[in-house]
Amino acid sequence: MKGIRKMLAAAVAVAALAGGSVARAEPYDDGVNQRAYTAMKGKKVAFVPLSMGFDLTQGWAAAMKVQADAMGYELIIRDPNWSTDAGAQQITQLISQKPDIIVVHNPDRNAYARLLKRVQGQGIKVLQVNLKSETTTEAFVGVDWYKIGEHQANSVVEACKGKSGKVAIMQGRVTDPANFITVQAVKDVFAKHPEIQVVSDQSSEWDATKAQGIAATALKQNPDMCGIVGLWDNMDVGTAAAIREAGLTGKVFLSSSGGGRKQADCDMVESGTFDEVVIYDVARQGRDLNAAIAFLLQQDGEAKVNPFALITPLKVVTKANLKPNSCWQMEQIPDLVQ
Amino acid sequence: MSVQDTLTRWRYRYVPDHVLGELLSKNWIDNVIPFFMLVGSIAVFGSIVPGFFEPFTLSDSTRQLAEVGFVAMGMAIVMLAGGIDLSVGSVFAIGNFLTLALINLLGWPVFVTLPVVLAACAAIGLVNGLLIGFLRLRAFLTTLVTLIIFRSAADLLVLTYGTRLATGGASSPLWDYLAYGDVYGMPVSCLVVLVVAIILHVMLTRSRFGWHLLAVGGSRRSAHNAGIKVRRTVCLTYVLSSTLTGLGSFFYAARIGSAASDAGLGMEVLVLTAVVLGGNSLGGGRGSVAKALMGTVIVLTLTNSLISLGLQSGASTLVLAVALLIGVAIDVKWLKNRHKVISSVYVSPAYFSMPTCPPTDPDSGSPYAQNDRLKDVELIGLGELDGPEDVIFDRDDNLYTGSRHGDVIRFLAPDYKKRELFAHIGGQTLGFAFDRNDHLNVCVGGMGLYKVLPDGEVVRQTDETNRSLWSIIDDSRMRLADDLDIAPDGRIFFSEATIRYDIAEWATDSVETRGNGRIVCYDPRSGKTRTVLQNLVFPNGVCIANDGQSFFFAETWAARISRYWFDGPRKGKLEVVIPDLPGLPDNINRASDGTYWCALMGMRAPVVDMALRMPGFRRRMAMRVAHDEWMYPNINAGCIIRFDDNGTVLESYWDAGGVNHPQTTSMREHKGWLYIGGVHNNRIGRLRLPDADPNWTSNDSYWGSRK
Amino acid sequence: METVTAPGASKVSVKITQEWIVFALAVVIFALFSLILRGFATVDNMLALVRNVSILGILSVGMALSILGRGIDLSIVATMAVSVAWMILMLGEGVAPPTAFALALAFVVLVGAANGFLVAYVEIPAVFTTLAMGGLVYGLGRFAMISVDIVNLPPGQDWLRGFGSGTLAGIPAPVIVFAVVCVVAYLFLSYAKAGRFVYALGDNPAAARISGVPVRPLIVLQYVIAALIAFCAGLVMTANVDSMNTRIVNSTLVYDVILVVVLGGIGLGGGKGGIRNVVVGTLLIGILLNGMTIMNIPFLMQNIIKGIILLAAIVADTLLNPRDEQTSQQGDI
Repeated sequence: MKGIRKMLAAAVAVAALAGGSVARAEPYDDGVNQRAYTAMKGKKVAFVPLSMGFDLTQGWAAAMKVQADAMGYELIIRDPNWSTDAGAQQITQLISQKPDIIVVHNPDRNAYARLLKRVQGQGIKVLQVNLKSETTTEAFVGVDWYKIGEHQANSVVEACKGKSGKVAIMQGRVTDPANFITVQAVKDVFAKHPEIQVVSDQSSEWDATKAQGIAATALKQNPDMCGIVGLWDNMDVGTAAAIREAGLTGKVFLSSSGGGRKQADCDMVESGTFDEVVIYDVARQGRDLNAAIAFLLQQDGEAKVNPFALITPLKVVTKANLKPNSCWQMEQIPDLVQ
Repeated sequence: MSVQDTLTRWRYRYVPDHVLGELLSKNWIDNVIPFFMLVGSIAVFGSIVPGFFEPFTLSDSTRQLAEVGFVAMGMAIVMLAGGIDLSVGSVFAIGNFLTLALINLLGWPVFVTLPVVLAACAAIGLVNGLLIGFLRLRAFLTTLVTLIIFRSAADLLVLTYGTRLATGGASSPLWDYLAYGDVYGMPVSCLVVLVVAIILHVMLTRSRFGWHLLAVGGSRRSAHNAGIKVRRTVCLTYVLSSTLTGLGSFFYAARIGSAASDAGLGMEVLVLTAVVLGGNSLGGGRGSVAKALMGTVIVLTLTNSLISLGLQSGASTLVLAVALLIGVAIDVKWLKNRHKVISSVYVSPAYFSMPTCPPTDPDSGSPYAQNDRLKDVELIGLGELDGPEDVIFDRDDNLYTGSRHGDVIRFLAPDYKKRELFAHIGGQTLGFAFDRNDHLNVCVGGMGLYKVLPDGEVVRQTDETNRSLWSIIDDSRMRLADDLDIAPDGRIFFSEATIRYDIAEWATDSVETRGNGRIVCYDPRSGKTRTVLQNLVFPNGVCIANDGQSFFFAETWAARISRYWFDGPRKGKLEVVIPDLPGLPDNINRASDGTYWCALMGMRAPVVDMALRMPGFRRRMAMRVAHDEWMYPNINAGCIIRFDDNGTVLESYWDAGGVNHPQTTSMREHKGWLYIGGVHNNRIGRLRLPDADPNWTSNDSYWGSRK
Repeated sequence: METVTAPGASKVSVKITQEWIVFALAVVIFALFSLILRGFATVDNMLALVRNVSILGILSVGMALSILGRGIDLSIVATMAVSVAWMILMLGEGVAPPTAFALALAFVVLVGAANGFLVAYVEIPAVFTTLAMGGLVYGLGRFAMISVDIVNLPPGQDWLRGFGSGTLAGIPAPVIVFAVVCVVAYLFLSYAKAGRFVYALGDNPAAARISGVPVRPLIVLQYVIAALIAFCAGLVMTANVDSMNTRIVNSTLVYDVILVVVLGGIGLGGGKGGIRNVVVGTLLIGILLNGMTIMNIPFLMQNIIKGIILLAAIVADTLLNPRDEQTSQQGDI
């Protein structure tokens, strides 16, 4: 009998150890850690991206999943696949499910503005990522688009020194907040440089094929163009193709920006498709998102949180400073975040 | 009667087989498939999507529903008229932009903005309408091109003013109320969509424009030939579509408040899917706004739920595509096979047990004993007539008869050689009776009860009666009014042989031998029409008895004659006076000696009598055997009988050879002659009655001598 | 031997067809641009002109085939995007190019056959079948095969890049592919038995069927060929921009394709027209786009102008060949 009891006790002990420190029968409490675990356990965090079809959102989702699994809260993903209307509908439906936090990736400055106020009115905290709506909510994790624009514009100005001074701006969607702020920064910089002449300033709806058409048009009109400011790597693949077709690779400086996925950015810089990419590291943003979520989940339900922002530092990658670890790959995200 | 017979009788009395065919023949049955899809999708997703039925979710989901619903209704209207409008998504984008620009940028009040936006969208729709309606361009191509043009225009507007709009954002209580307000829990936009749907439904089904629209969609050529302004009608559908789209975009703008250029992007596919899934057909002519709304609910429930389930991006598109394929496949197959299905299940035989057939052998001594007394008739209008079902005389001895072409034909006294067209009514003229004022009352198959004035003017008396409570078929309409008679007080009693078949297929009713017919009373004094007797087996010849308080009527397939008292001490009583005729009785008319004539249009046969007790057999026949090969009762006999008030049959007149009268459906005694008609004959016969009163006319008998 | 002439044929009547209108329009615009635009009428620009519309042209040949047989293929862009995206995704995962190519080809044939089966055997109208199949292919692709919107062409794979950036005797590869597709399609339609039957099918399906044409298999074949041509276009497009964006399915490309076909004078009713019409339609669009590009007209404005010219062509056709209320077909939209 005693033997059996001993064995049972041993088994329980092994099981407890295997279950990890969180599940230990008498956990160690330093006054904060247990509070954090219980605050997060069983909570619900919803994520409404523009679409789950591209590297930024997939990277964020992978990063958030790591912490959700570790801390035992639920991560709900609703993919409206680029439809503003479907996204609004999903946020509306989420309200009734009462998640603790909704992570919102805004399609433009106005689209969810009123909706987010309603969400907050229901006691749900809103964390905006990368693209901020007109409505300021508890938290924002993302880049300073103005800085990106400034940097890109300055690079192009630099590249155009002694050349025609003709440049093009390849916009995404004009009502998109990121687009709006970046273009404003670019124009502010160009305004300080009278030698720069913007010969093409059009919107391609974040679509590479459209970008190719527009860039081809602009390049045909102005074969002496010296630089193009592109607003997103995935779209600028098309811009670059137009440059290549026109036989102007190396002659037209193409600056783009993106989330730092290897295939989309570093490979492109390496192959000379892009001359420079301004990277906002998605893995870093993933860590910031997790921090913001952890912080918000540990606030009391009714307590008012002062709006805060975690600004992503920028990284400029050119052929000159390209390193093997300048970019990330999707399968590395969990490791990078942990 | 054997036990099995009894069981069969009860089985066919209490199981309403005929309901299935009647249901399938209703127009609204097309709604059943989309309706079950609707219920199914809501049931399935309601159970697996968390929070689906929460009042908050439901009421907020309907906002999006309302916006797309407006567009879908517009698309449905265009498709009903046989067109298609692919430009709705682009118009939606323009409407959205305009609304935001007027409200946010220019600060206009909501009440001014709405009409301006609607007018602008209507003007855009007018472009489509003028091109497709008046210039007769192809709808598909034209709206394809305008889709691109309008979309580019919207994008251009957003590009030019988008940044200013993005920073704007005027807000007023009314504007917020339109976006998020509700009336008793129902969102404003949803309420508006319901009101608009009702208005549109009434417009389509009850208004002249709606009927024109459906006619154009049903058959453009016929509509054109009927004098409908096809071009204007088509043009207006596009104006309506764009206006409704504008209304949808107005609410969208209020709710979302963003001039993002993805507003309405790809909406044409979503809406087309919704409208078709709801059961509106692409060719036009079939559909309704209700179907469009049902389709919208299905499509949006599907897409939103799939996103809510957190599936990967393509899932909702995939499911939507599969739903569209299944929906259209069912629709196509249903349209193609609907008539086959209906024709195989519509005929629904009932149990009927015939009494023993009396003998008709020439030497049997029965009053029905065969003879050849009709052999020597004189013929009137041989070869000039087509289907003289009934014959009648006016006070000047002129002879009137009907025809398959919908005419009333008059032969002039005294020799009845000269023929003239007295009136054209349009439907097959079946039964005749003169009233007190010498107006000719006519039962017209497919039309109802009509009256012809002495100058030939045709007046409709009645074509509908009270609808019975539980009938699936609309039995208020007259399908086959076939004989009438007029009571002394002027009330007109007429029979409607069957409510389930039109005149062209009246014989099919014999396969059923159910009580499908009725007797209806029209009272000219009040103008009211009421059904008097129901569930009669092909009621036919009505004749007011000499007492003026009752009438005789024949039930053809049941081979019997009954009497019904509508006045006097026995009022309301119904009595079978001759239960067992050897043949199938048709018209009944008065004879000069106070008795009654009755025409037998066909003879009973033992095999048919037996088949009537075997409804299952007849059902299998109707389902599996070609129409032409069905077993019908004999309707090729010439026989006229005479009976008295007690129902005693006195004598019979036969055309044994079947040469002169292969079928007799009516006879009328007039001044010593008997005039004989038949619905499939090309002649009228007249036979001298040696023993009859040579001065007797039915007009005198009914209304007294004028002189 | 005496030749017998039909009564109407003795008089040479020049019927003004849409093809002629469009061709004349193309010539006029071409002449106009040559005169006023510097650098328009050069060999370089001509090649660039055709090159820019070659993908549109290739897709239009596939669309034309399906329309000639009284059908329409709205799934052509989805088939193109998903099959090629899947292929280069496999290439990126290290699948051997022949295997990836064969799998993608099999997928394309399957999609075409499914289209044909639904139209021919289930008798769903082609518009709905292909509209739904477009959604189905895109949905299936994004749901089960490709998890991202944009698939990049992995490094290497020069055989594939050759379709976009290669040249042969100074002529860019896309132009050559377009020409080859046109010639093959022309030979098929003019000389192959099945090609002639496509016209019979488009002209009068019931009559074709009664005459013994295997109508249903023919419809399946027609959609399979259209899908294969779409695959061709996809290869060129991928090679061009080094990636395949599956979101192109949601763009107006398929509408542009239909417009090219119809603009060239192939009636949606089927049975009328040929590859020549596709070339004419493609050239007009090419000349327009190129000219407007040189004239520095913004992209969106170009779309509007293009649309208005297309509309004018359709209006002119309708005015010259008015449709008769009495003879127009019911449900012919």
